Amino acid sequence: MIRRVWREDFRIIGYYTGLVTIGVGLLMVIPTVTSLVFREWASALDFAISVALTLLVGYVLALISRTKNIPGLTHAMVIAAGSWLVAVMLSGVPYMLSGHSKSFLDACFDTMSGYTTTGMFLLQDLDHISQGLNMWRHLLTYVGGQGIVVLALTFLIGSTGGAFKIMVGEGKEEKLEPNVRHIAVLIWRISLIYLGVGTVVLGLIAMANGIKPYLAFFHGAYIFMSAWSTGGFAPYSQNMLYYHSSAMEIASMVFFILGSFNFALHYAVWTGNRREILRNVEIVSFTITVLTTFSLVCLALMQRGVYPNAVALFRRGFFQLISGHTTTGQSNIYARTFVREWGPLGMLATTIAMAIGASAASTGGGFKGLRMGIIVKGIATDIRKLLSPERAVVTGHYHHLHDNTLTDSVVKGAAVIVVLYVLIYVVGAIVGMAYGYPMVDAFFESVSAGSNTGLSCGVTQVSMPTLLKIVYMLEMWMGRLEFLSVFTLFGFIATSFRSMRVRKAAV
Amino acid sequence: MKKLCAVLTIVALAVLIVAPVSASAVQPPLLSTNELVENSYKWDGQTVSFKGEVLQDLMVREDGTWMNLSDGNNTAMGVFVPKGVAMPVISRTEDYRTVGDIVLITGVFHRVCAQHEGETDIHAVSVTVLTPGSTKANPIRLGRVVWFVVLAGLLGLVMWLYYRKPGRGTEH
Repeated sequence: MIRRVWREDFRIIGYYTGLVTIGVGLLMVIPTVTSLVFREWASALDFAISVALTLLVGYVLALISRTKNIPGLTHAMVIAAGSWLVAVMLSGVPYMLSGHSKSFLDACFDTMSGYTTTGMFLLQDLDHISQGLNMWRHLLTYVGGQGIVVLALTFLIGSTGGAFKIMVGEGKEEKLEPNVRHIAVLIWRISLIYLGVGTVVLGLIAMANGIKPYLAFFHGAYIFMSAWSTGGFAPYSQNMLYYHSSAMEIASMVFFILGSFNFALHYAVWTGNRREILRNVEIVSFTITVLTTFSLVCLALMQRGVYPNAVALFRRGFFQLISGHTTTGQSNIYARTFVREWGPLGMLATTIAMAIGASAASTGGGFKGLRMGIIVKGIATDIRKLLSPERAVVTGHYHHLHDNTLTDSVVKGAAVIVVLYVLIYVVGAIVGMAYGYPMVDAFFESVSAGSNTGLSCGVTQVSMPTLLKIVYMLEMWMGRLEFLSVFTLFGFIATSFRSMRVRKAAV
Repeated sequence: MKKLCAVLTIVALAVLIVAPVSASAVQPPLLSTNELVENSYKWDGQTVSFKGEVLQDLMVREDGTWMNLSDGNNTAMGVFVPKGVAMPVISRTEDYRTVGDIVLITGVFHRVCAQHEGETDIHAVSVTVLTPGSTKANPIRLGRVVWFVVLAGLLGLVMWLYYRKPGRGTEH
C-alpha cells in the first residue's frame, strides 16, 4: 500500500532541494568571475542576475521548508529528480539573458544536455558567445558528471543518514566509504586532481597547436571538463574539428575513457588494487563491445571506401566510435557526415555502442557495461544449467571489485533497467519517425539523447519540432538518473494529489 | 548601312577578344559549409570559393596555417593555407567583443584530406580580406541593472531571515 503524503514530506523535499539550488547559485559565481576577468561586462551582469535569482529561490525554499528531519528513501529519490529539474530551469537563465537561446525551452534543452553530460545543443551562434557562458556550459557538464547532488552534499548537507540515499537517486550507488560526505569529497578529490592534470596537458597541446597562450588553458579546461564528464561540449561549433590536431584528440580520448570508468574502479586503483583493471567485469565487457562495434564500423567504412588510408580511418572511425561508446559525444567529423558518408551500417554500429555506453557509477550513460556483463553471464549460466545434470548445482560469478555470485535477482535487476533504456530509445525514435525523419537517423539521435552521448546526425537543430525537443530532454533526464528517482517523483506527485482529494473529502 | 556593318564588326571582334579572357577568369562557385558537407562527394577535389568570418585562432604550423571560417549560424569550415600561399594580414579575429575579418578564399575542397588524416577541409590557393573586422557593442542595459539590484535586495532579506530563524522539527 502506498503511504499518504504529509506536509512534513514537502518540507523535507523543499529544504534539501533548496540546499541543492543554493549550491547551483554558488556555482554560477565561477562564470561570473570568468566574464569579469575577460572584461565581458554585459555577460557578467547576466550571470550576477542569475546568481541572485538562483540563490533567492534556493534560500526561499530552504527558509519556508526548513526542517531537521532526515530524508527517507522516497524523499531522497524525489529530491534527486526534483532538484535536477529546478537546477536545469535556473541554469537556463544565463542562456536566455545572453540572447543566444531562441526560447526558454531551448535554454533548458541545453542545460539539461549539460547536466546530464549529453552534449547536444540548440544554442545559437555558439562561435560568438562570451567566455563566461562557455565556462558555464562546460562547468554544467563537469558538475553534472560528478552529480550536482554530490556537490551539494560535499559543501552544504554534511554527513546525514539520508544523504547517501539522495546520491543513489542520482545514480551514484557505489558506497566507497562508510561516511557519505567522505564519498562525496573522494569523488571531488579524484575529479579535481584530474582537472588540474587535464587542463595543463590539454592547454600545453593547445598552445603548441597555435592557440593564443592566454586562451590555451581555458581551451584545455573546457575540453577536459567535456571529456572527463563524458559530456561532449566544445567551445566552438566545429567541436574537435576546430583544433585540427590529432594530439588534442588523443589526449581528450584518454580522459574520456578514464571518465567513463566506474568511480569504484578509480578508487580501487588509487588505493593500490591495480589488478582490478584486468579482472573487472565492466572492463572486460567494455573491451569486447568496443572491439565488436569498431569491427562493424571498419567494415562499413571500408565497404564504402570512405577514408583513403588506415590512419584516416582509425583517426576518424575509432575516435567517433569510442566517443559514442563512452557516451562522450565529442566529434572530429561533421554531423551530416554520418548520414552522407558513413551510411546505415556505420551509424548502426555507433548507435549500438552508444546504447551500451559506459560503466556504472561513472560520468557516462547508456545500459552500462556492468549490466551487459551481468546479463551475458546470466544467459551463459542458464545455458550451463540446461546442459548440466539435473542434480548439479550451477552458479555463475562475476568480478566487480570482488567476486560476486550471480543470483536471479541481480540478473533481473540489470535486465529491467536495460529494458527501460530500450523503451526510451524506441519511444524517442518513434516520435522522430512520426515527424518524418528516416528510421536510422531517428534511432541514432534518440539513442544518443537517451544514453547521454550527444553525437548528432543532424536531427537536433533549433528548428526541430517542440515535442521532439521535450522527448529528448525527458530521455536525457531519465537516462542520467536511471529511471528510479524520476518514477518516484511522478509517483509522489500522483500520491500528493490523491492525498489532497482524501483530505478534502474528509473535511 | 556601312556604319552599321562597321559597328557590328567591332562588336563581334570585341566579343571574340573578351570571351576567352572571361572564360578563363570564371570564379569558382561560392559554396557554404552545408553545401560542401551535404554534397561532399560532388565537390571533392574541386576548386571552390568560400567566404566567412575568421574565428578566434590562426593556428600556425610547420607546413602552413589553419584558420576556421564561420559562414553562418553554427557552421564553419577549416581552411588550410599552405606555406607559399600569400596570407594577407588578418586585423581581427572573432571574439565576444569583436567581429572577425571576413575573408574570401579559393582553394581545393577535400571530402577526406589524405594529408590531414581524413579531415574535411579546403586547401587555400588564395586568401583575400573582403571586410576588415570591427568591435562589437555589448552594452549594459539599465533594466538589467535594476533587476539585479532588486533581486540582490530580496536575496539579502531572505538570507537574513534564514540565518536568524531557528530550525523547525526534531532530528531523528
